[in-house]
Amino acid sequence: MERAEIEKKVKEVVSRILGVDESIITPESRFVEDLGAESVQSLELVAAFEEAFDIEMEEQAALEVKTVGKAVDFISKYLK
Amino acid sequence: MGILENLIKKVSGGGKKIVLPESADNRILQAAVLLKEKNIAEPVLVGVPEEIEKTLTNSELGCAGIEIIDINDPSLLDEFAKLYQQQRPNVSEKIAHRLVRRPLIFAGMMVASGKVDAMVAGAANTTADVIQAAALTIGYQKNISSSSSFFIMEMPDGKIFFYADCAVNIQPTSEVLADIAIATATSYRKLMNQEPLVAFLSFSSKGSASHPDVDKVVNAVEIAKQKDPYTAYDGEFQADTALSEAVAKKKLKDPSRVAGRANVLIFPDLDAGNIAYKITQYLAGARAYGPILQGFAKPVSDLSRGAKPEDIVAVCAITCLLS
Repeated sequence: MERAEIEKKVKEVVSRILGVDESIITPESRFVEDLGAESVQSLELVAAFEEAFDIEMEEQAALEVKTVGKAVDFISKYLK
Repeated sequence: MGILENLIKKVSGGGKKIVLPESADNRILQAAVLLKEKNIAEPVLVGVPEEIEKTLTNSELGCAGIEIIDINDPSLLDEFAKLYQQQRPNVSEKIAHRLVRRPLIFAGMMVASGKVDAMVAGAANTTADVIQAAALTIGYQKNISSSSSFFIMEMPDGKIFFYADCAVNIQPTSEVLADIAIATATSYRKLMNQEPLVAFLSFSSKGSASHPDVDKVVNAVEIAKQKDPYTAYDGEFQADTALSEAVAKKKLKDPSRVAGRANVLIFPDLDAGNIAYKITQYLAGARAYGPILQGFAKPVSDLSRGAKPEDIVAVCAITCLLS
């Protein structure tokens, strides 16, 4: 999967789970500070990425990811 | 009889059901057997039934008729995924299915769906994990949007005080401080069957000092009073003003129901709360029971990672009484 395609899908997932407009989401967006995520929602984001990409991620490392761009990097590793 | 014995006596025989999702931990199994044998509460273990039964048999604990729920039960997973999705519509049912397979979330859904009265975990998970699972599945109590914790402090003369928050919120805002006070008042009422007199503590008594930290506490008192007008909240008070009627008379111009008679102490931040409970414990010889989590719509509590089976039983008893 191309990086641009992964990024598009990540943005779709983030938009749906956090209820924010896709147009405001950039690779630099931080989930909590910029997109208004409650810290408890991190688990929902991880589960949503796993469902969207059909992968199983290493949970503790996944929960450390703080920005949309880093999430794209992290998910890319599982799609190689 | 001490406070803990009193609370255990109060809950015993009531048949409260408490779910314990960390069934791979031997201390949890020992605690479940004690709860069942002493008729304190009905423990419900979550996990793979064959594995739990094997551990119980190998450790010679015996099953003692303890209810075991299969975490892979397809009909329960379906039911919980549907309910989760209804409660949190941004999450699809497929994603909810992934979430409810996690033991803490599964157990949280057992509480949310009313299958059990309460949940205790934390022997093998962090406090943050337990709070996250409870927030996602059970949500917060009315008027509150954050969780916190309290300690029951039993003084050598038998007097009881509730201290909060000594374990969860590091630098609470006025809003969170008000949430802590409202939740602790609720916990006090449920456990003590008495009226909570809630003092917001500070280094200032009713304007004796000016500082943004004092303003934070003053605002918190106002928010708590607005959200919960039927409970006695007052402050900002120095600790002596809150605890001694003689000092309160000297320091305050206006009468206060709380000053000098406070039984619930709300600390301005975690530094103050954590230091105060340990100082009370070590210098005054008080016994400290907690931290017990609070603020959720139904009771969930955390355990210290080093908890012994009898500590787990005590937390379960207190948590059941909060339901």
